[in-house]
Amino acid sequence: MTNAYLSYAAKRLAQAFVVVLLAYVFTFMVVSILPGDPITNVLRDPQNGFTEDEIRQIIAAQGLDQPIPVQLWTSLSHFVAGDFGRSMRSNRPVATLIAEVLPSTLILASAAFAIALLLAVTIGYGTQFLPKRFGQGLLRGFPSLFLSVPNFVIGLVLIHLFGFQLGLFRVIAPDSFWATFFAAVALGVPVSARIAEVLIANLDKESEQEYASVARGRGLTRMRLFARHLLKPSSLPVITVTALAIGELLGGSLITETVFGRTGIGSLVQRSVSTQDLPVLQAVVSLAAVVFVLVNLIADLVYPLLDPRVKLIGGPRARPTTADDGAVATSVAATS
Amino acid sequence: MAAQDRLTANTLTRAEPNAPVPLRPIPLLRVDGLSVSYGSHEVVTNVGFELGRGESLALIGESGSGKSTIARAVLRLLPSNGRATGRVVFDGQEVLGISERGFRPLRGRAIGFVPQDPANSLNPVRTIGAQAQEAAALLDEPDKRIRKQLVLETFAEVGLDNPRRVYDSYPHQLSGGMLQRVLIGLAILPRPALLVADEPTSALDVTIQKRILDLLTRLQHDLKISLLLITHDLAIAAERANALVVLKDGVIQEAGRTASVFSSPASAYARKLRADVPALNPDRYAALRDIGSRFLKTAAGTAPKIAVSAVTKTFNVDGKSLVAVDDLSFTVPAGTTHALVGESGSGKTTAVRLLLGLEQPDSGTISVAGEQIAGRSPGELRSAWRHLQLVYQNPFTSLDPTWTIERLVREPLDRFGIGTPKERDERVRKALADVGLGEHLLSRKPAALSGGQRQRVAIARSLVLKPDVIVLDEPTSALDVSVQAGIVEVLLSLQANLGLTYVFVSHDLALVRQLAHTVSVMHRGCIVEHGEVAEIFDNPQQPYTKALLASIPSGVADAAQAPHARPLLMAAAE
Repeated sequence: MTNAYLSYAAKRLAQAFVVVLLAYVFTFMVVSILPGDPITNVLRDPQNGFTEDEIRQIIAAQGLDQPIPVQLWTSLSHFVAGDFGRSMRSNRPVATLIAEVLPSTLILASAAFAIALLLAVTIGYGTQFLPKRFGQGLLRGFPSLFLSVPNFVIGLVLIHLFGFQLGLFRVIAPDSFWATFFAAVALGVPVSARIAEVLIANLDKESEQEYASVARGRGLTRMRLFARHLLKPSSLPVITVTALAIGELLGGSLITETVFGRTGIGSLVQRSVSTQDLPVLQAVVSLAAVVFVLVNLIADLVYPLLDPRVKLIGGPRARPTTADDGAVATSVAATS
Repeated sequence: MAAQDRLTANTLTRAEPNAPVPLRPIPLLRVDGLSVSYGSHEVVTNVGFELGRGESLALIGESGSGKSTIARAVLRLLPSNGRATGRVVFDGQEVLGISERGFRPLRGRAIGFVPQDPANSLNPVRTIGAQAQEAAALLDEPDKRIRKQLVLETFAEVGLDNPRRVYDSYPHQLSGGMLQRVLIGLAILPRPALLVADEPTSALDVTIQKRILDLLTRLQHDLKISLLLITHDLAIAAERANALVVLKDGVIQEAGRTASVFSSPASAYARKLRADVPALNPDRYAALRDIGSRFLKTAAGTAPKIAVSAVTKTFNVDGKSLVAVDDLSFTVPAGTTHALVGESGSGKTTAVRLLLGLEQPDSGTISVAGEQIAGRSPGELRSAWRHLQLVYQNPFTSLDPTWTIERLVREPLDRFGIGTPKERDERVRKALADVGLGEHLLSRKPAALSGGQRQRVAIARSLVLKPDVIVLDEPTSALDVSVQAGIVEVLLSLQANLGLTYVFVSHDLALVRQLAHTVSVMHRGCIVEHGEVAEIFDNPQQPYTKALLASIPSGVADAAQAPHARPLLMAAAE
């Protein structure tokens, strides 16, 4: 671990922190600029039966009569300290609400991600080494097929086939292993398509490079050529795409959770949007921003470790030796 | 057909299936009736040759002659749309028809491969050591540490002086010459019986080229490896191989022992190839060059066309200052050619950039055709650029692929607003005619042209402004020997007809001798020796110049390099 890398990592970390703060501020501003005032709407709801005085008292107690910058500051400092406030509907801490549903979504998303990677690499290997007559061309069509089918359709088909027809899982028990597995498949398939597209293009490029021929000439088997030579340089651009695909996983989990009837972040968001539960929304959006930034931060940090040619800005550059001089003496001595 | 007959008589055992066992030992490699096609396009037709154990054979030809395709067919590394028919018999076993699984044990272990471009032939994201371990895995040695030791020993054997550092390096941290040594090391590590070297030095400087070829020759003799060498340079082939096979358009033109093919080529094509090697024909263009030489004699007293005086340029690299050009001075009389000669890193390119005003010198003055170049802004230099044009090294990257030839050649006229549109059309046609290109090319795009034609377009593009001075930055280094000869001829006749002054940058001394009048030899940013070409070549004073001159392939095998060459030749003649 060189100094250049550490200072690079520190810079990236600081940038990531700033991005998360900006995302929070942005969400807050959008919510306060939006027309309609969900807070007074809730308070004025006749069912709640607050009087105007009580409403004013509540608003003052919550600090909602303060100017927006002051509100923002209060809310932001709470957020940084890990306090997300309370739900306007259930009056329970937002952190608890999220903690209840987060594990389910995390399991779903990480399973989907693993399936997506596995699927993409398998498709990639197939496009390079499957004999032409065994449908190499067919495999190349998979990514565009996967992309063009919405994941709720995949989900419904999977539920129908494996849930109802084959009885592999029971639809009313959405957290069972097989139900989770098929939900993850439905969520992972479109994501795998994005990764596979880039991976295939890069594998095609890399396998035409001279070094691939030379390595084959060294007697490597296809599997080794793929795993040791082609996969690593081909997956460098994939890292970027993968980081972006995480966003798709977040969005996709909302739909998949609904289709499979799972309780998760998706259902929490859905409920909060329909009830205009602002603290929950603010927290979830900020959380999404944190995840997104974190994933991209990891991608940025991993990239220079995988590609030795990447020059870290600010650090000393790796310098190719230009002269063959070192070898001259030996060569002259050896050949004359 | 005559060539084919001659070939059968001279070098091939007749291919009768029931022929008695030949008295000669069975060759290590026999290629018989090999044809290769890409799609429906046949690029190699009915090629046959054989290579004995411990011997070397060179396949020679221009790009497109199919020489590399033959090598790849032997190695079974053809691209997926390539189809090979015929017979390739390696060590008594037919290998063209067997399965990939059946051939794989031969890869590396029995047949080694040294590729053309060392910079792209190692995986850029893996260390040299990791890739060397793959070659070492072909040895029957289970202990990884012993395998590493063997790798390090091999690196030392191929002349890498810090094997441990090389082992831990990534490819981009090493120079081209070092990478080629690594690749040769990886190829010989499993001690193969056959080494296929596909233009192993065409991407390298001339002195490094000699060292790499010396290394190959030495290993071939020390380890009794047979060498199949692919090259476009007849001089290199003749110097390094026992037998030659001359190819054109995928068909053998001539084949035989080196001595006979080289000294008395029978086919017209082999004679042309021989005539195109600059090293073998230093005075080929003497008549054209002498026109400029006259200017050289009358130049005394008149102002030179180009005057570079005490120019120094320092770059800041990683906080350290690097002197790229140190106290550079030379003058070029009008109508003559001055050559700047040196290897990569000698400061040639910086000198060119300074001369064109693309870089500003730290100190010193540069004047071209009476105009000061140093210290002026690009806007002020516009007028100077009308008289000062550049022909770039690589015609494959210097022409915009989306433009037509007409637009490319015409652009300078449009930029400088010279003449009426009709006059511009005429000048474009004239410039193309001057470089020997027909008008039918006007509407083509660069991709439809060969490398030689593209470089002619680049020359026409610089000519169209009617400049006084053209800077030629290694104008033929990306081209074959025979294509190069055509370009050199065009350049010399243009100079004779138009009185152009050239600055010719090159690392190829043989070429310099053919076309330049005066020369400066650069080494690490300094001029170590300068003077008239004949003087420097016949009587070099500096060791560096002598080393450069000694690197020119002469076509004559050095007895010290190839101790076995002679007995083998005689054995084959019996």
